Amino acid sequence: MGPKVKKNAGKGSKTEDVEKEPPLQAVVHLDAFEDRFLPFTLERPRCLLTLANTPLIEYTLEWLASVGVEELYLYSGNHTEQVEDYLNSSRWTRDASPFTLELIHSPSTSIGDNMRNLDQKEIMKGDFLSVYGDIVANIPLEAAIRSHKSRREKNKSAIMTMILREAGDYHRTKDHHMRRCFVIDPATDRCIHYEQVKPRHSPRLNIPEEVLKDHVEIDMREDLLDCGIDICTPDALAQWSDSFDWKMPRKDFVHGVLQDYETFGRTIHTYIISDGYAARANTLKTYNAVSKDIISRWAYPYGPDMNLMADQSFQLQKGTVYKEDGVILARSSMVGKKSVLGKATSIGEGSVVTNSVIGRRCVIGRRVRIDGAYIWDDVSIGDDTKINTAIVANEVSVGRKCEIKRGALLSYGVHVGDGTTVKEDTRITRTKRKREHENNEFSRGPTDNKIVGKGGEGFELQLDEEEEEVVEALRLGIQELDLTLVDDDISDLDSDEETDTAYEQRSNSRTTSFTSNASDESGETRRNKADFHHEASSSIFDALQREQDPDNIQLELKALRMTSNAEDSQVRRAVAVAFSKRITNLIESGKSPKEAVDSSIPANQRLITSCVKETEEQAEFLLFLQTDLVHRPQGNKILLFAVNVLAENDMVDGEGLKVWWEDARSSASEELEAVRKETKQIVDIMADESDEDEDDEDEDDEDEDDEDED
Amino acid sequence: MPTSTVGHTPSLSTFLKSLKTNDIESSIELLVSLLKRRQIRNSRQCALATTHLLLSVVAKERIRDAQKLIERIRSVGRRLVAAQPREFAVGNIVRRVLGVVREVAEDNEDSSVGSELLSPGTPTTPGTSEARRPHLPKTFSEFTPLHGAAALPESFQTGLHASSSELESLAADSKPQRPSLMSSTTSYAAQGPSLTSLFSILQHPAGRSPAGSPGMSTPTAFSPSMKPSSSRPATPQRPGTASGPKEKMDIKAEVIDGIKELLDELDVVDSQIAENALDHIHSNEIVLTHTSSQTVQKFLMTAARKRKFTVFHAEAYPNNHEATHATILNGAAGDEDTDERWKPLTDMGITVILIPDSAVFALMSRINKVILAPHAVLANGSLLAAAGASTIARAAKTHHVPVVVLSGVYKLSPVYPFDTDELIEYGDPSKVVAFEDAAFAEKVDVVNPVYDHVEEDLVDLYITNLGGCAPSYLYRIVADHYRVEDVDLSSKEGVGAAVKAA
Repeated sequence: MGPKVKKNAGKGSKTEDVEKEPPLQAVVHLDAFEDRFLPFTLERPRCLLTLANTPLIEYTLEWLASVGVEELYLYSGNHTEQVEDYLNSSRWTRDASPFTLELIHSPSTSIGDNMRNLDQKEIMKGDFLSVYGDIVANIPLEAAIRSHKSRREKNKSAIMTMILREAGDYHRTKDHHMRRCFVIDPATDRCIHYEQVKPRHSPRLNIPEEVLKDHVEIDMREDLLDCGIDICTPDALAQWSDSFDWKMPRKDFVHGVLQDYETFGRTIHTYIISDGYAARANTLKTYNAVSKDIISRWAYPYGPDMNLMADQSFQLQKGTVYKEDGVILARSSMVGKKSVLGKATSIGEGSVVTNSVIGRRCVIGRRVRIDGAYIWDDVSIGDDTKINTAIVANEVSVGRKCEIKRGALLSYGVHVGDGTTVKEDTRITRTKRKREHENNEFSRGPTDNKIVGKGGEGFELQLDEEEEEVVEALRLGIQELDLTLVDDDISDLDSDEETDTAYEQRSNSRTTSFTSNASDESGETRRNKADFHHEASSSIFDALQREQDPDNIQLELKALRMTSNAEDSQVRRAVAVAFSKRITNLIESGKSPKEAVDSSIPANQRLITSCVKETEEQAEFLLFLQTDLVHRPQGNKILLFAVNVLAENDMVDGEGLKVWWEDARSSASEELEAVRKETKQIVDIMADESDEDEDDEDEDDEDEDDEDED
Repeated sequence: MPTSTVGHTPSLSTFLKSLKTNDIESSIELLVSLLKRRQIRNSRQCALATTHLLLSVVAKERIRDAQKLIERIRSVGRRLVAAQPREFAVGNIVRRVLGVVREVAEDNEDSSVGSELLSPGTPTTPGTSEARRPHLPKTFSEFTPLHGAAALPESFQTGLHASSSELESLAADSKPQRPSLMSSTTSYAAQGPSLTSLFSILQHPAGRSPAGSPGMSTPTAFSPSMKPSSSRPATPQRPGTASGPKEKMDIKAEVIDGIKELLDELDVVDSQIAENALDHIHSNEIVLTHTSSQTVQKFLMTAARKRKFTVFHAEAYPNNHEATHATILNGAAGDEDTDERWKPLTDMGITVILIPDSAVFALMSRINKVILAPHAVLANGSLLAAAGASTIARAAKTHHVPVVVLSGVYKLSPVYPFDTDELIEYGDPSKVVAFEDAAFAEKVDVVNPVYDHVEEDLVDLYITNLGGCAPSYLYRIVADHYRVEDVDLSSKEGVGAAVKAA
């Protein structure tokens, strides 16, 4: 039955559909809750980034249409308006679209939240597909769906089928910072164990004993490319709902369901395909790999010359060069192998372009060398510039005689002045995120002429703003703590492929967001400290949110501290982070910073006093608070009021403030300075007070410590 | 079986089913994406899908005016061709349908306006039409490339009008006879509508002698038949205004009939080609063929009923070898919607030997005849066929083995190959090198061309559903089936091709 027939029947009257097989539904997670495409994702949602001159989402939607999906639900977090605008003007929302499409804006912070939301809505009538919004695939799913259904008929507890592609030991599209190991019973295709192994970590799998007992034959496969295509049943949604803390479909869901097999008997199956193409462009490294695959036609028929968008006119020419209409090439210019040139792009005399994708309306000057670069639309590049394996976003202009080195990322609208060299792996942007959580606000950041040269515009985005800075700040002092944050990610620098090192490094940066822990896939037991911190801060935060009795919170904290053998300073850090999070949270819900601080801190005074007593402890607590507030919106205001309240209620005293203020760590970076600047007044007043007190009694500074009340 | 309905990968059969229920716009959109995704591929499927789509475009839309209908079909055709420019059958069918419309319209003109012959493709005033004419001779033997601007020798145009005048001479019959439907096995030249038209022209020489035009229209062989075209200036009326409402009704019905005839043609094309089998395959011959083509299988089976011969079958690795193996073992698959398979040749007592493509040259010395099935045949007599065909044709040339190409007229395209590289589609390299073999695939450029271009001088004979003909004669069949106005679908105007070519 054709998809069209169904759709029309559905339009006509819902009741007719009841006797028929429910339409094939799919849910697409546009936001993967990762920051791997920074700085581009500051301004654009990931699914609208262009891959070989076509937005990523087009590939996904076209593929879903090709497998016969009739109802589609898109979950979008960041930049939902942009996604909505895009979809409204695309062919997917027209009458002739092969599926009905609904965009759901969710404030969720994980795939798990999406799934739970989906379960609440009860829109999934039968088995459905769950995919990410960055998939490029050409595989037919008919056989997979059929085998899933026949299994379902026999056994209701088979709740999910994962579609996996054989990809050999090493493949450029595979996730390299996470090796996924599937233990499969080949007789039933059941996945009986799943583990994520990091390269160079834990070379052993914890396969439960029963697995080995119950199954005559097992396959342990690490060669499978998992691109997150799942055929789920409504039962699977119920499972998500039952476990409110599951976030990731693999680490939490698959793992969880498999663990509970003994109790509930629910099974997860696999369907392994050996032809066709399926890959996710979820990191810069895979973006590079998938682009290359598409250009060399591995994803055939999906390629630039498929002209997915109505206004495209790519043609494949000799040497795998794809050209759109109206490309202007100077006579002496050379376009080498595996290149894509968009409409109305011009390339000047003597320029050489190889292995690169160039968008529309770009102006490439004379004697320019471009190799392996991804240049999006409306870019202008001055004469004699060299660009090597970089991503240059829309409307960037690069001056003359510049050199953009391997792995550099130039975000939207950046200008690079004449004669500038952009170093390896620099991320340059104009936009700064004033942010916490989903409500992103953006502002222009200050231009850093050292990076972009004279007359340039833009500044360097630090590797991973929210975390990196915390780490940096802490690294200066509290050594034992920073280790807890810098987890597995400083790895793979010695990756086998030179070209990809640049990407690798970045792709390995944390999948987690420090504040939300949204996609913390790294919660391995060996990192107790990080675990403690995450757990403690989030449980305190939860408790604060529910306005629990501070004594209870304290009790809980104590227990947690005992179990993970944490140190006092860690406890303080957790408390500081939890408070700052809670305050930010309140501000977001509409309160002013002052109200937020007033409503959270005094009520839970005991919680703070219980762990913050001595002057050093006070200073440390303030330092934690400050570092955490660095990346919160209005951090400076919050710090001001928080310090004020803390001082008013005698949780900290002048001495503590002073020690904190004078601590080198509290002014280690510009951001830290910026955050604490406004607080200076209070510190001055308090310090004066305490000084005055001192002066009265004793003029000697040595006695400062004795000033402490308790 | 209900389980298979959900998630059913769209294909030709689902498209044809959905055509009945969907509105036109979504059907067009669906076919465009099916073509893009290659879920409808190969000439036959493309031709069927296009014909069905155009049939419903004509049937469902309330367009009574021939000119508007032509515009509509052209615009649909442009979208389809743009979706997959390398499926020539799509464009061919669109042009054929346009031809049907024009023919019907002209026929109606004839009955209403009298003996005047007016092409509805000329909506402009007689003056401009005249102004355009003088350019035509320049288009003689001028051809245009793949992307849109295909053209014909100007003399073809004369052929077209000649066939129209033949119709005119038959105007007493209510239904137009379309030359393509004549399945006579005689040489096409013998039935030549142009001859008929010559007679018909001679019958009405007075009404058509144009003043001053013979000097401009130079093509020697056909110069007399040039006259009908230059008679246009004499026609005072525009088609829309000239024809009454009664016969506008007829246009639609007749066009639908014409398209249905086209469908019938697609249905019987293989059988018509197979009728020639006994003329070409003799007892104890050794025949080499390639790919799992239905046409070839049917042809060989027809011969096998009477004669015993041996078939060498090259497997067409990597894009078609599975289908080829299946064909040899279990017989050719029928049309997609029917699951029936024909009996394999071996069941009829024929020895079939499967060989790898690389063995073709070694075996060629033993072979009496090569039979190929093309993907598309181009106006100059060259063809596109599954990769490997070029090797076979060259080997055959070296060994002086005749190469016979079996092709329905629907595969014959008025396109001239300027850049043969551009005509060839590149497929999925994972069929050549496994996707898993990443270490290799990343360092080596793997290409998998789906088609080969075979030059016209490597082919000895074409067998179409109209009978056999030499490659050098194909242009004539092109001229008889496609209107010169329609060759270039990309131009907006009906007669744009002529102007553009000039």
